[in-house]
Amino acid sequence: MDLPTFRKTLDDWLDQYASQLVPEHDGRGTLDEAMAQLAKVKRLCYESGWMRWGWPERVGGLGGSPILRAYLGEALNARDIVEPDVYSMTEVLAPTMISFAAPELAADMVPRLLRGDEIWCQGFSEPGTGSNLASLACRAIRTDDGWRVTGQKVWTSYAQYAKRCVLLARTGSQDSAHRGITALFVDMDSPGITVRPLTAMHGSDEFCEVFYDDVAVPFERTLGEVDRGWAVAMDLLPYERSTSLWHRGAYLQRRLERLLAAVPPDALSAGEVGEVAQSLLALRARSRTTQYRMAEGQQLGAETSIDKVLIATAEQNVMDLAVHGIAPDVLIGDDATSERWRAEYMYSRAATIYGGTAEIQRNIIARRLLDLGDDR
Amino acid sequence: MIETTEVELFERSVRQATERHTGEALDGALREVGWLEALTDDAFTAVSILFPLQGAANAVSFALDHVVATGLGLKRTTEAVVLPRLGTWAAPGAVTDGRVAIRGLGTRALLRSDRAVVVAAHERGRFKVATVSTSDLNVRPVQGMDPAFGLVDVTADDAGFGAYPDGSGDTWSAAVVLAQLALSYEILGAARAVLSLAREHALDRIQYGRPISKFQAVRHRLAEALVAIEGADAVVTAVREEPSSELAAMAKALAGRGAQTAARHCQQVLAGIGFTAEHPFHRYFRRILLLDQLFGSARSLTLELGDELLRSRRLPMLLPL
Repeated sequence: MDLPTFRKTLDDWLDQYASQLVPEHDGRGTLDEAMAQLAKVKRLCYESGWMRWGWPERVGGLGGSPILRAYLGEALNARDIVEPDVYSMTEVLAPTMISFAAPELAADMVPRLLRGDEIWCQGFSEPGTGSNLASLACRAIRTDDGWRVTGQKVWTSYAQYAKRCVLLARTGSQDSAHRGITALFVDMDSPGITVRPLTAMHGSDEFCEVFYDDVAVPFERTLGEVDRGWAVAMDLLPYERSTSLWHRGAYLQRRLERLLAAVPPDALSAGEVGEVAQSLLALRARSRTTQYRMAEGQQLGAETSIDKVLIATAEQNVMDLAVHGIAPDVLIGDDATSERWRAEYMYSRAATIYGGTAEIQRNIIARRLLDLGDDR
Repeated sequence: MIETTEVELFERSVRQATERHTGEALDGALREVGWLEALTDDAFTAVSILFPLQGAANAVSFALDHVVATGLGLKRTTEAVVLPRLGTWAAPGAVTDGRVAIRGLGTRALLRSDRAVVVAAHERGRFKVATVSTSDLNVRPVQGMDPAFGLVDVTADDAGFGAYPDGSGDTWSAAVVLAQLALSYEILGAARAVLSLAREHALDRIQYGRPISKFQAVRHRLAEALVAIEGADAVVTAVREEPSSELAAMAKALAGRGAQTAARHCQQVLAGIGFTAEHPFHRYFRRILLLDQLFGSARSLTLELGDELLRSRRLPMLLPL
């Protein structure tokens, strides 16, 4: 399947099934509604094959270039069929499973994620471990047949919906830093796991605290090598800045288009509108080359930090424009559309915080791309 | 399309030319390495090779005149081309009653040539490619912000002209695309050179007992400069695939703004030494400021785009996968 054929046939299919694919709720909807919508869309797309293109056959895919996945997510986001936040989990976690899980485990699990049967989450951050991921403390102790995990995670997106978690745990000594971390694939219904959603400032409880109290994890659920979980994390992070970033870029373009349609005459100056559109184009052009590099099988690395800085800046630019252009909606509107703009505006404030802060990205750029050496 | 290995060899010889020569000596060196033939064969490749290097070397050449002439579809010409005024991409001439009025700029090629090509608007938004005798023009050599560039100011109130035999004025927009692309490459070449100067300075300069490159404030400024350059570069590179007026204009705006962002951060890192006339920073900075204004500035191009977006209420679908 080549991209032009995929694009044409997918676009036709999306037109044909538009009424089935459209969300049933207005505006952003509740998290329950967003999750139900995601499951519905993934199932329809999986059954029709769209969701399987670009993934290897050994995990239920139909093969073909990852560019096809980039286009599918772009098309779904550009038509307001899915939200990029919930949709992105697949693009971040499935490649990790394919690279690091035992083949039988990947073959068993990945199709459940692609089909929309399950939500998965990512257990990285901890109360004492934000930017400095290598300092994590959640502990996994080796037993005869596996691991016992004890500790606390935070900022775990959609943990209350998740069936599984890609978890990073300390398996080396307390001061082993990045050398003593192991990645585990944990069933979220295991005894000893408690999930407590946090309500964030955008009004949604997508982020959770997750408590692990002596949770048993079978040894076959180890991802990659013992004590080499850092490699799993380093492999996963560039995925956050490739396909799912492309999808988010498509969503931001859609939001700017919606804003242009809604803005009253003279509410915005030409200069500010032009500059925001240019910042989105720079992101698109940059991310587009990343998609093709990934499709060619190139290893993604530090250079994706530039993509991440561009999208965080562009996202805040778009939403700043919205708060100025349609202030009566964003500030005092109480309908579903206004509520959505307000939530998205608030969420955009986190764009320079999650997935590696703006400062961490600049540290990576300085050290790895500008070759400035370490900062100590 | 030129073969890959040929491109590498060609790039090497163009690099040597720009690093060793500037002005008329560079014109001669570019002629010798076959850059004009390359421009005729594959304009996008020729432009993408020369202009980043010319910007990085802070060199000047006849290349922009030839790029505009090529964009206009003219056969190889040794004549100079009249460029638009600062900040605009509008054709520099206007035809009324068989005479042409000109408000434009030029490179030093105008001082050497007997005739110059000028694109002139006439009725109903149509353009004419005219040739004028340079003796009919008021040509003022400009020192200004960037004396090394060799800019000239060109005016004529009422000059006679000949129509160019093998040109069609409808190609003005194609000439603007190619010129904006060339200038974007040159601006980014200059910006990368500035970043490289600032990076080396940060690694060498010791304060408080360590190189200032260890300080996060300095590192972040340099990172910011690289992000501005790479974001613009991605769009500039894409113009070749999708050579539309919209994309070229956005590329030029991003290059101009990105280079000025980079220059601001890098000058701060270069601090005192970068403020001296003996340090090369100011020559690149002057060039960036001038090039930003040729064929539309970051500001004017952004205003034009914003006006269009607010009018149409639509975002053009650029750069599909």
